[in-house]
Amino acid sequence: MKIIEISGLKKNYPLGKTTVHALRGVNLDVEKGDLLSVIGPSGSGKTTLLNIIGCIDRASDGKVVIGGKEICTLNDRQITDLRLHHIGFIFQTFNLIPVLDALENVEFPLLLMKTRSSAEVRKRAEKLIDEVGLSEYKKHRPAELSGGQRQRVAIARALVTSPDIVLADEPTANLDSVTGESILELMKKMNEIEKTTFIFSTHDPNVMKYAKKVVKIKDGLIEEESAS
Amino acid sequence: MKLIIKIAWRNIMRHRGKSLVIGAILFLGAFLMTVGNGIISGMSRGLQKNIVEGFTGDIVLISKKQETDNVFIEFMGKAIEPLYDFVKIEKVLEKQDYIKSFVPVGKNMAALLNDSENGAPGYSFVMGVDFKRYMEVFPENITPIEGRLLEPGERGAIIPTGARKEFFNTTGTWYIPRGDTLRKENLTEEAKSVTDLECKDNVVFMGFSTDNSTSDIRLDVKGIIKYKALNSIWGQFVLMDIESFRQCQGYFTASDSRVELSGGEKELFEMGGEGLDALFSDDALIVEESDRAVVDEKSLFSDSPVQQQAVTADLDEGVYNMVLVHLKDNADSKESLKAINAVLEEENLDVRAVPWKSAVGQIGSTAVIIKAALFVFVMLLFFVAIIIIVNTLSMAALERTSEIGMMRAVGARKGFIRKMFLGETGLLSFAFGGAGILAGIAVVNIVSLFKIKSDNDMLQLLFGGDTFNPLLSVQDTGLAILQLVLVTLIAVIYPLLVAGNITPLDAISRE
Repeated sequence: MKIIEISGLKKNYPLGKTTVHALRGVNLDVEKGDLLSVIGPSGSGKTTLLNIIGCIDRASDGKVVIGGKEICTLNDRQITDLRLHHIGFIFQTFNLIPVLDALENVEFPLLLMKTRSSAEVRKRAEKLIDEVGLSEYKKHRPAELSGGQRQRVAIARALVTSPDIVLADEPTANLDSVTGESILELMKKMNEIEKTTFIFSTHDPNVMKYAKKVVKIKDGLIEEESAS
Repeated sequence: MKLIIKIAWRNIMRHRGKSLVIGAILFLGAFLMTVGNGIISGMSRGLQKNIVEGFTGDIVLISKKQETDNVFIEFMGKAIEPLYDFVKIEKVLEKQDYIKSFVPVGKNMAALLNDSENGAPGYSFVMGVDFKRYMEVFPENITPIEGRLLEPGERGAIIPTGARKEFFNTTGTWYIPRGDTLRKENLTEEAKSVTDLECKDNVVFMGFSTDNSTSDIRLDVKGIIKYKALNSIWGQFVLMDIESFRQCQGYFTASDSRVELSGGEKELFEMGGEGLDALFSDDALIVEESDRAVVDEKSLFSDSPVQQQAVTADLDEGVYNMVLVHLKDNADSKESLKAINAVLEEENLDVRAVPWKSAVGQIGSTAVIIKAALFVFVMLLFFVAIIIIVNTLSMAALERTSEIGMMRAVGARKGFIRKMFLGETGLLSFAFGGAGILAGIAVVNIVSLFKIKSDNDMLQLLFGGDTFNPLLSVQDTGLAILQLVLVTLIAVIYPLLVAGNITPLDAISRE
């Protein structure tokens, strides 16, 4: 079942008198439960592609359908609700709310949804914190956690709403290799447990081994798609 | 809401420096605003008490012929137009249930004639009153510091300290009550420096009425008085009995109304226009003895007013210049003014009612100006506070672009972000602004305990009396809270827009 359908996706950024063509006609379909890695060198268009899939940025041209919804036609509130209910994010650096502890950060999206009781929210958040191995650190604020621990909290938060898709833009970029690998292992594990579609970008070819499918992007175009 | 308050509170604690800056501004603004409200309120109440209750009443009735409403403090203008129909006016006023009390008075300027070799004549406002009635309406307005007050029906003058000082400065004479000795402790510095001080216990006034029929009148000084409040202003008003005032101003007195005129005299008095001209025509010189109007001048005009007997006639039958009206406590002054004017018009009386603020002219307008200036100052302070808070909060919003962008990325709507900022500012406003209001209330109450006094005219206007008595009612405190809420809301509008418009993409771009 296709969870994402992208066709003819273009994204242009005006830069003074010139225009930067970040994406120049991308076509991509993502199956539900995939663990997709988007790889490519810096400036190839990986982040732009993920931003558009995550409704953080808007396409200049083309069509993006997520869960059967054409996102280009949605207004700000609908897009925000789509992100809240269907998409989880793991960013490279800015990740957590500094004034909330690890557990509260994980609870945050569920509290925004207002669909569960406080007890249910707490139970679900604790389950996720436990799954990412941070039970001992749940009362620690982000400033008291290491980079790897923060990314684990971010993964738990991204999964807490049981989204259809989790987008991770270079989640290991600021981590050492051992920690980075543990994060990717965790994502792979969560993909298997939660059956959630994961799309992560990286410019590290070694990361490919964790993905079920790899999309290689270069100069704004998909150069190669392969199953690992 | 719980989540918003939690994040807002923790953000305040996290950014303590900025929170303290905004908090300090809110504290100072709320404090000054509360104190300012206290001063304005105290001034309003003081003026109300000291002018309305002590001197003018709420409403002043004057002649329709009177050109200006300012009938109390008019230095350069014409004399006040006389009121001839007080008996009729009184009947009308007595029927109005919103009127508490009223008293007719005569008021004009008079020259203090100086028969000594040194000094020039002095000038003063003089008020003629039926003293018993006046004291019933303004019972605590004046206090004798030398001599005594006038007895009912007694002729004489009572001079306020301010007028005595002015008289001394212009005429070189120090006035003391008849039968009293010089009290050196009450002398002004200038008077103390005079070695051969000339003292007098009687005054000669010459009135300034509109019909050029004034006469000079010699009166005993019965007492030297001090007005309870605003003595530096009201202290220029010499009080005298109404009959002496009328004679001084050349008005028709109550005694005049008791003079029995013969048919010929009446004919002569009622004569006017061509009739009067005819009196001086050639034909008029040849008349029958029986037709001649014989006027006994002695029966009409006493040659020595101060020697006159106490008036036994009804004083109200003579001329006044105005009627001072006190309204009942629950009466609305604007509505009452309208009602009085309507009923006076209905009764076809040649009188109109004006509010006390118009009647006191400059004092009323100066008070309004001071009040407005204070209000503008407080508003200016708010404006500056708003600018600083807007700037600080906007900067805070931009500095938190990553955090806000991330919140938006994980599903927080613009409304959530705005509520979060509003919560932060609201908490600061509640804590610091509330503390400012409480501090303001404390200062207002403490300052009023000190009973700070001033003789300065401007300060007395600011104080609303001789004593600085700032006052905060429940309504004033409510107003301060409302102003604080308004300031907070106005100050937070732009930062809310800034914060609400931060997108996840802004956060990523910043990274």
